[in-house]
Amino acid sequence: MSRRPAGSPGQTLITRRSFLLAIPALGLSAAAFPRRIRAAQVAVQTFNGPMAAAGDVYRPVTLPPNDGAKPSMTDAQRDDLEHQIHCQCGCNLDVYTCRTTDFACSVSPAMHSDVMGLVAGGHTASEILAAFKAVYGEKVLMAPVRSGFNLLGYTVPFIALGAGAVVVTALMRRWKSRAPMAATVPTSHVDATEGELAALDAAVRKDR
Amino acid sequence: MILVGELSLWVALLMAAWAATVSFAGGQMRRSDLIESGERALYATLAMVILASLGLWTALLTHDFSIKYVASFTSANLPKVYTITAFWGGQSGSLLFWALILSIYSAIALWTNRTRNRELMPYVSGTLALVLVFFLATICLGSNPFQRLDWIPPDGRGLNPQLQNPGMAIHPPNLYLGYVGTTIPFAFAIAALLTRRLDAEWLAAVRRWALLAWFFNTVGIVLGMWWAYVELGWGGYWAWDPVENASLLPWLVNTAFLHSIMVQEKRGMLRKWNVTLVVSAFLLSIFGTFITRSGVISSVHSFAQSPVGKWFAAFLVVAIVVTAYLVSTRLNDLRSNAQLESMISREAAFLYNNLVLVGIAFSVLWGTLFPIISEAVRGNKITVGPPFFNTVNIPLGLLLLLLTGIGPLIAWRRASVANLKRQFIVPVTAAITIGVLFFAFGVHNVPALLSYTFGALVLTTIAQEFYKGVDARHRMYGESRLIALPRLIARNRRRYGGYIVHLGVVVVFAAFAGLAFKREFDLTLNAGDSKVVTDAWGHRWTFLSQGISRYNVLNREVTAIALDVSRDGRPAGVITSEKRQHVDSRGAPTFEPSTEVGIQSSFKQDVYVVLAGVRGADAAEIRVTFNPLVRWVWLGGALMAIGGLVVMWPQPDRKRVQSGYAAVLKPQHAPERIPDLVGA
Repeated sequence: MSRRPAGSPGQTLITRRSFLLAIPALGLSAAAFPRRIRAAQVAVQTFNGPMAAAGDVYRPVTLPPNDGAKPSMTDAQRDDLEHQIHCQCGCNLDVYTCRTTDFACSVSPAMHSDVMGLVAGGHTASEILAAFKAVYGEKVLMAPVRSGFNLLGYTVPFIALGAGAVVVTALMRRWKSRAPMAATVPTSHVDATEGELAALDAAVRKDR
Repeated sequence: MILVGELSLWVALLMAAWAATVSFAGGQMRRSDLIESGERALYATLAMVILASLGLWTALLTHDFSIKYVASFTSANLPKVYTITAFWGGQSGSLLFWALILSIYSAIALWTNRTRNRELMPYVSGTLALVLVFFLATICLGSNPFQRLDWIPPDGRGLNPQLQNPGMAIHPPNLYLGYVGTTIPFAFAIAALLTRRLDAEWLAAVRRWALLAWFFNTVGIVLGMWWAYVELGWGGYWAWDPVENASLLPWLVNTAFLHSIMVQEKRGMLRKWNVTLVVSAFLLSIFGTFITRSGVISSVHSFAQSPVGKWFAAFLVVAIVVTAYLVSTRLNDLRSNAQLESMISREAAFLYNNLVLVGIAFSVLWGTLFPIISEAVRGNKITVGPPFFNTVNIPLGLLLLLLTGIGPLIAWRRASVANLKRQFIVPVTAAITIGVLFFAFGVHNVPALLSYTFGALVLTTIAQEFYKGVDARHRMYGESRLIALPRLIARNRRRYGGYIVHLGVVVVFAAFAGLAFKREFDLTLNAGDSKVVTDAWGHRWTFLSQGISRYNVLNREVTAIALDVSRDGRPAGVITSEKRQHVDSRGAPTFEPSTEVGIQSSFKQDVYVVLAGVRGADAAEIRVTFNPLVRWVWLGGALMAIGGLVVMWPQPDRKRVQSGYAAVLKPQHAPERIPDLVGA
């Protein structure tokens, strides 16, 4: 590749030398001007912000106990239920996982106490989830309920995939119609003489 | 050195801006001097970014707490290895790390193409330089790691304890190597679109880069899973967190591209599709970075909310608009005279495989964004957690696994009934046998059962392909089968490396299916107390508390529980779990307490113990989780990486061999095109 420019003789060109000389000056001046911008930078936090304290985000969830209430579920079923409730400390975990993982979280134990109270009051899993939803809103559920607008969330990926399959199939049909009726090239036939094949085989053996 | 580093950052920005300007101008005006200047400016950018990085490392290692980044992410008592890795532990450092990798990749791309693809290279350099300009401008103006504090604190805040883990030291670099790796194919795609040279040339140039990005992305994701598993303590390795999802998106799209590129190579089809996939992988990498840094979606992994999120959003919008314009105005150039001889062919299988891979990517993106969409439409905040993603993605994942088994069994162009029968008989029989056996032995969880059934299909397919290849060599050359196997792989690394990747995928799916048999127990134990629980295999485990111990070590105060464990009455060792309160050099607490999980691992299952809390003086609240087959996740991930390496490994004698055969044939029949003797 030519090092000489291809422009006209009178054309002003930036030489390598002038470019290299200009860099430090440009760098220094550029480093000088943005102080104002840098001073305006917002202080950023580290990796994980501090979790919310129970007093900030916890809301009691209670219901009057049913008459002659007995616990409505086993401990294992209760743990399963807690897997469906989103801890509100900011951790993205469910109540069960958070309370059995996070030493410092004060929110999940409080929410766990509410679940225990509701279970002891004889309420069913769906009643308990509804009670939590009434207090915190839908965000307290680990997955959106399958109704109304949320149905879109569950169905759109499959609709998209189905639509994609229809498009791909249609495209393939079009491509197939373009192809000459020729599956005319028999797959097993090799267009070479015996001598050529022997030479090729010898070359393969030699190459090994 | 620190000042030099700071200044170098600005010089790098100017260099990159120069490189972008003169590269595009040189390409447009066909002036070799400008093109050359642009390339040299990119090399100079690399030098400047290296200097800036050395500056930051110097500041970290010399504990220069006048620099805000150093004070925010290190402390005087932070172990040296984590002081070094703190480079990418925070926002601005990780952006500089990104720029460092991108400038290294750019220099390698320029160097390896110094005599090839010359028509494309000015635009490749220009595009790479533009991306670098964006990153360097974001660093210099939005998140500068050399920003100084008004006062010098006596000690720094320290590195988040969760980042003080070997997994976290190597997981982010791998992920960044993967993310940034998508930039090179993107640059080639833009160059091909700009020059309208949309033939196979640009595709050949990017295949290895796409593989490299895929390889590092795979390793990064698996290491991230491992880190989450051993460090976060919630008992799993994948939580469908937005940031985890963001790492999966480019991986899925890249995987689709690595399959569809074969169709273009073999049949000249899918030209528009391949450009779209290459561009999408890059845009999704930027999207992932946007998610991590914008705070727009709540995530446990995110860096704190900062203005750079807006920069990324703007860049993403510009990149989407520009690439959409380029693709839409070059549709004619991307048109191929695609012909399909049969709906039952390898090409068709690849198309469906692509559809499912992109479908999964769409569903993950959709689920990640659905909380925002829902809030925008209904004004209602919702949580989209693992139950949602599992509901949507498990069927799609199983479909993908099934296609992984079917695809390799179907011939290119057209498969005859006899051929299908011959190819499918063994794998289908094996799959049905395994399905029936597993059902008979009590696996009634439908996704798990299908996973093992389809896994058996894929496994048998792979075994059959290896067997046929080895047997052919054995018969042709009289090689022993042990010798024939490595030679077979070495002679067709793309094909058999791909099968090794598929093997890894099967192993990972089988391990995922094991989660259906996970058991969790919530125990409270005083010193000397014991509790008995039963795992999914029916073993009875006894956990006897040896009591709580408290001590200080290095930069942390430790509360630990030791449990004597026995299985079915036989001693099975001691498991300890800790809570660590990290402190600075003056003994002041720095972060929330963190978990150190106790794990007893085997190929069958992991016994996973977390000290969740201490009640009173000596009552330990612990969670015991029996996680079946977790070790297979890491093994499967390693197999995928090894397969990727095999595929990537250069095939030095390929040209020589082909030209040798051609030479043999030449005297009588000189073929116009050398036959592809080593096909995938």
